[in-house]
Amino acid sequence: MTEALLEVRGLRKSFGGVAALRDGRFRLEPGSVHALCGGNGAGKSTFLTIVMGIQQRDAGTILRNGKEVSFVGPSEALAAGISIIEQELNPVPAMSVAENIFLGREPLARFGRINFASMNAAAQALLDSLRFQIKATTPMMDLTVAEVQLVEIAKALSYDAEVIIMDEPTSALGEAEADQLFAAIKTLKDRGKGIVYVSHRLSEIFNIADSYTVFRDGQFVGDGKIADVRREDLIQMIVGRPLAEEFVKENQPGAEVVLSVRGLNAQHGVRDISFDIHRGEILAFYGLMGSGRSEIFERLFGLTPDLGGEIRLDGQSIRLSSPAEAIARGFAFVTEDRKGSGLVLAADVRANVCMASLGALSMGLAMNTRREASAAQAMIEKFGIKTASDRLEVSGLSGGNQQKVVLGKWFLTQPRVLLLDEPTRGVDVGAKREIYRVMSDFAREGGVVILVSSEIDEVLGMADRVIVLRGGQVSGEIDRTGLSAEKLVHLAA
Amino acid sequence: MKNVFKAMVAACALMTALPATAEAKLKIGAAVYGLNAEFMQIWAAALKNHPAVKSGLVDVTVFDGKYDALTQQDQFNTMITQGYDAIIFVPIDVEAGAAAVQAAHDAGIPVFGSNTRVNSKLLTSYVGSDDVKSGYMEAKYVLDKIGCKGNVVVIEGPIGQSAQIQRLEGNKKALAECPNVKVLEDKTANWSRAEAQTLMENWLTAHPGEINGVIGQNDEMALGAIEAIKGAKLDVKSFAIAGIDGVTDALLAVKAGNMASILQDGAAQAQGALDLAIASKMPDYKPMSDIWKQYPDMPWADGKAAEYSVPWTPVTAENVDALLALRK
Amino acid sequence: MIQSKPVASRSASDLAAAYGRKYGILIALIVVCVFLTFANEYFLTGRNLLNVLRQTSINGILAIGMTFVILTRGIDLSVGSVVALAGVVSASLATSSVNAMVPGGPYPTVVAFGVGILVGMACGAISGWVVSRFNVPAFVATLGMLSAARGMTLLYAGGKPVPELTDEYRWIGTADVLGIPMPVVAFAVIFLVAFWVLSATRFGRHVYAVGGNPHAAKVSGISISRIRLLVYVISGGLAGFSGMLLAARTGSALTQAGIAYELDAIAAVVIGGTSLGGGIGKVTGTVIGALLIGVMNNGLDLMGVESYYQQVIKGALIVAAVMLDQARHREA
Repeated sequence: MTEALLEVRGLRKSFGGVAALRDGRFRLEPGSVHALCGGNGAGKSTFLTIVMGIQQRDAGTILRNGKEVSFVGPSEALAAGISIIEQELNPVPAMSVAENIFLGREPLARFGRINFASMNAAAQALLDSLRFQIKATTPMMDLTVAEVQLVEIAKALSYDAEVIIMDEPTSALGEAEADQLFAAIKTLKDRGKGIVYVSHRLSEIFNIADSYTVFRDGQFVGDGKIADVRREDLIQMIVGRPLAEEFVKENQPGAEVVLSVRGLNAQHGVRDISFDIHRGEILAFYGLMGSGRSEIFERLFGLTPDLGGEIRLDGQSIRLSSPAEAIARGFAFVTEDRKGSGLVLAADVRANVCMASLGALSMGLAMNTRREASAAQAMIEKFGIKTASDRLEVSGLSGGNQQKVVLGKWFLTQPRVLLLDEPTRGVDVGAKREIYRVMSDFAREGGVVILVSSEIDEVLGMADRVIVLRGGQVSGEIDRTGLSAEKLVHLAA
Repeated sequence: MKNVFKAMVAACALMTALPATAEAKLKIGAAVYGLNAEFMQIWAAALKNHPAVKSGLVDVTVFDGKYDALTQQDQFNTMITQGYDAIIFVPIDVEAGAAAVQAAHDAGIPVFGSNTRVNSKLLTSYVGSDDVKSGYMEAKYVLDKIGCKGNVVVIEGPIGQSAQIQRLEGNKKALAECPNVKVLEDKTANWSRAEAQTLMENWLTAHPGEINGVIGQNDEMALGAIEAIKGAKLDVKSFAIAGIDGVTDALLAVKAGNMASILQDGAAQAQGALDLAIASKMPDYKPMSDIWKQYPDMPWADGKAAEYSVPWTPVTAENVDALLALRK
Repeated sequence: MIQSKPVASRSASDLAAAYGRKYGILIALIVVCVFLTFANEYFLTGRNLLNVLRQTSINGILAIGMTFVILTRGIDLSVGSVVALAGVVSASLATSSVNAMVPGGPYPTVVAFGVGILVGMACGAISGWVVSRFNVPAFVATLGMLSAARGMTLLYAGGKPVPELTDEYRWIGTADVLGIPMPVVAFAVIFLVAFWVLSATRFGRHVYAVGGNPHAAKVSGISISRIRLLVYVISGGLAGFSGMLLAARTGSALTQAGIAYELDAIAAVVIGGTSLGGGIGKVTGTVIGALLIGVMNNGLDLMGVESYYQQVIKGALIVAAVMLDQARHREA
């Protein structure tokens, strides 16, 4: 066996007497992609913060190239060649790509002036060597999310990093953009770098990783080569119990048309969208980033202005000019960006759950506090939200529980049409299944679900029918019987 | 910049509208520290009502310094560029404005001080009232009323401003004559009625039944003290209270018998300065304002004296109605 | 990245620190009061405490309005100028002095009060409209109003004070109800109403939602522009009312009234624990913050401490309060 780039043994860390990590083990070989798997609260984040020197360990050994190390602060980890690309990227938007890469260590010319020529040249050389199609002088704010990530990777390499940690790098990317990232990861591998890859998306892990390590409840569970493990077994290791099925689908579409859309236009060039949805049906929109999926939802929910087209609910033509009106018509919208537009993070569970139903929960001007409390309790029970009290801030909940709070908020409005935009993003495998169960039950009781998802598996697993979008227009429609990943990708690209 | 623009527009308009007379008319600028408070408005109104202005002998432009020394300096530069014949100057503070006076002097424009002195030897002449004297007068009134014994409090202006320094000097001079009077508290209320009211409320609590007199360095603060006394359900008339300036509210309070005030004649300061400014440009000019008759103690002296001291007028029950009538 | 600490695991010292952060301002107020009680024999007397409340009432009322605005991530820098404008306009309707230049006066006190509050609300409505309709940052919109309202005050009054207010008008500033001064009664009533509005009404929930996350509030069917408009109207209306209280208390409406009052109001809100980032804060905290400022000013006056110290201490307090707020955020 070659010497590991990074090896961790017996890592332990507790907070206020409760162990967040008991026996963290990990071994990263050069030129490999190693997936770090586990549900929310498994100890992955604690593990990474210790490796990066953000927190100090209680016990355990960290070996870098066989030598024991101990970092105080991320700058020491960086100096030792360990770099992290965070889930939420923090570029300086008004600065150029080159300036971002060399932030804080700009090459200087005489009189302390920044030598822009040599900085831009160095940055461009670096980007070209990685085969990234990005100009070093472009302002950061003009880049897509994926390109920003590529710049972060370039930045990490400019520090001579050998170990690159990627935390949920594809959570904000579409399929094509993710492919761009995977190509970059292969380039890194070929250069002998080691990549720690953290993701909830199993298909990605099976696509690019060479080996895996699973944590559960702060404990090392197992590791091995990806080639030697089956998908079901990996899921079982992550969840801790056998999952009968990854997806839950028990609904049966009816014949009666509930929602009918004709010639709908929306922002960013979305033109002439027409479709019908039947009682009890789960319809999916599939397409790349920028194909207009989210724009259709925003228009249906009254968040963007009416640009033409007809919407009929139960055969009756309706105008949807504000979210309040859409809610009153029975629409509910679980947005793609949970923290950005789904939740008030600083507010408690109760306030978030009740937020879209305040009218129904009040008498005149005053709120009926008792009904608010019982409504919140009902949703906590319905979705099994793990929280000690409905008065705790949602910022303290895990991603899966936060998503359940969002679902609770919308189920409280007693919706008929559920718009779900990437409902399982950043949610662990266990919670995902519960969300699928909710979708299925809702449709079975006669509701209508429209799903937008970048995960092909999810679309294949849940949809009764798929409408594929390309460049703001419908490029095809496939029934469940004829559904396949190849067709989806073919129609979308 | 805005003022420069305004002045330019005004100058252009003047030149085109009155081509014949414009050259003969004297152009006099008045740079005052700020026009927000009542006192300077009376001053400015008196300037515009001067007989020489009404008869068309001179043109007067008043520049609002907006309580900023730098703004005043810019306005001086404007007047120099515009070729004003003379400048009347009311600086924000004694120490601020010497540079502006220097610039005008270098351009050959005479500068006349009014109301507030400026620490410069280059002033052609100054018309004002001696703050030390007013401080002495108001303190003297309070001390006389309490029979030169007992306790007083002093409410001061913003520490370091010339009026505060000089009025305090006058206060102390009078207090020195009554060694049996104790100053319980002295603190600034920044010329503000609301601040003085809070201060006095707290002092009445800290020294219950001990305060006999209140020396307010201006009327606003004395009025604030009166409101505090009323609020504490005490009899205002059992206190000796005095202020300086003679603002309208203070005149009303004097009429009601609640306080004494020393009127600073801003109108006389303004008109006197204008007469001096005209005289410096027209050698055979005779002063047109009535003030020279009103104050025989302040002789005209052919407009050549370096300093003219406008006497203070104690506001009394006898003259208060006449003074109030002037305000309407 | 960093996992939050599990709730159940807090040790005693953690718990004490958490309570310190939550009740820090109240504890500070109590400590200052206890200190002053021993330092000055007159501090803990009924009359002095009423004085403190009376001196706090105007800043307290402004700070309550400011709390609504800051909760929605806004700021209202115009309150000091609105105090002057509403005071002068309303007083001019309730004086027998010809200085006011309002023919036919004095009008009934109710009319004068109503007009004053309406003037304040109108100023707030303009700021709120500019903020919510045109997305102008609140700092800029209300900075504009700060200047414009002061200018309108001087225009309206011609720079002169409005004296000789009628006794009925002055009643609200000088009268007592069961021994409690009217400004204090008004302060208490406004506090109770604001407390109820923020904690128990739909509008209150909307305010917290808009401040906590405007996008989420919008998606939840809340009209954020309506809420943003209304909080400025509330702040303006309370500033208008404060202007009348001030005029009634001092006996005449001055054009220079209220200068820099916005800073004390913001200080009270911030000291009271409301986050400038919006969505977090309580009106009780604001009132305690205002009382803390009031008690310190009063105490330092009683002890004969130079007033410049008061400014230094207040500055330190504001910064300390925000440091506390930051510590609270890091914990979350």
